[in-house]
Amino acid sequence: MPIEALGTKIGGGSALARGARAAVSGGADAGAFAEKLGQLVEGVEETAAEANTAINGMIDKSVDVHEAMLAITRAEQTFQLTVQIRNKLVQAYQDIMRMPV
Amino acid sequence: MSTLSAAITASASALSVERARIEVAVSNMANADSTRSANGQPYRRRDVMLTADPVDSFDAVLGKSSATGVKVAGIIEDQSPFRKRYEPSHPDADAEGFVSLPNVDSSEEMVDMLGAARAYQANLAAIGMIKEMVAKALELGR
Repeated sequence: MPIEALGTKIGGGSALARGARAAVSGGADAGAFAEKLGQLVEGVEETAAEANTAINGMIDKSVDVHEAMLAITRAEQTFQLTVQIRNKLVQAYQDIMRMPV
Repeated sequence: MSTLSAAITASASALSVERARIEVAVSNMANADSTRSANGQPYRRRDVMLTADPVDSFDAVLGKSSATGVKVAGIIEDQSPFRKRYEPSHPDADAEGFVSLPNVDSSEEMVDMLGAARAYQANLAAIGMIKEMVAKALELGR
């Protein structure tokens, strides 16, 4: 997998998908994985936006405190999950790079 | 919907319901001596009716096990008789000099409020536990 593919934004997952497809033969699975990763990042953005809406709602008193806190918790959990998956991905990449040929 | 997320949603619905219960108990308490309301009658004690509410109604229809939340079915008025107090000088006194006071018992409202507060805390503890479970599951990746 070329380094540039990892370096670019994984938001759409397309660069990553291309990189993964180039590296792995029978790249349909790898592409699907990159797509999933893109979906995960979209999920993070979505839950973060929900948390922002909930906080704004709390300020104008239309949303309960616990609802806002739960929205924040959900955003945090989705983010943590994405971070863990990203860590795994980078670790796997580094393991392959360190492999003696 | 994933199980843990559904569980949090169910607990969250309980939090909203407990808040509604507190609101009703507080308005009963505040109006314990209101001898007239919008309809000209003394304030009537209110009570919250609750009903089970599946988090994911589609799953519930399919018979899949799913977390079940709770929601307020309605707020009913307590039809028990008003308290009577002899006070002929009161503007709301009837022909015999008795004033009708709301059918609110402050000690009962106090108990209701404590119950709602404890139930709120219990649901918060449940959410905390689910949160901890998710965090532990994420630690698998480390």
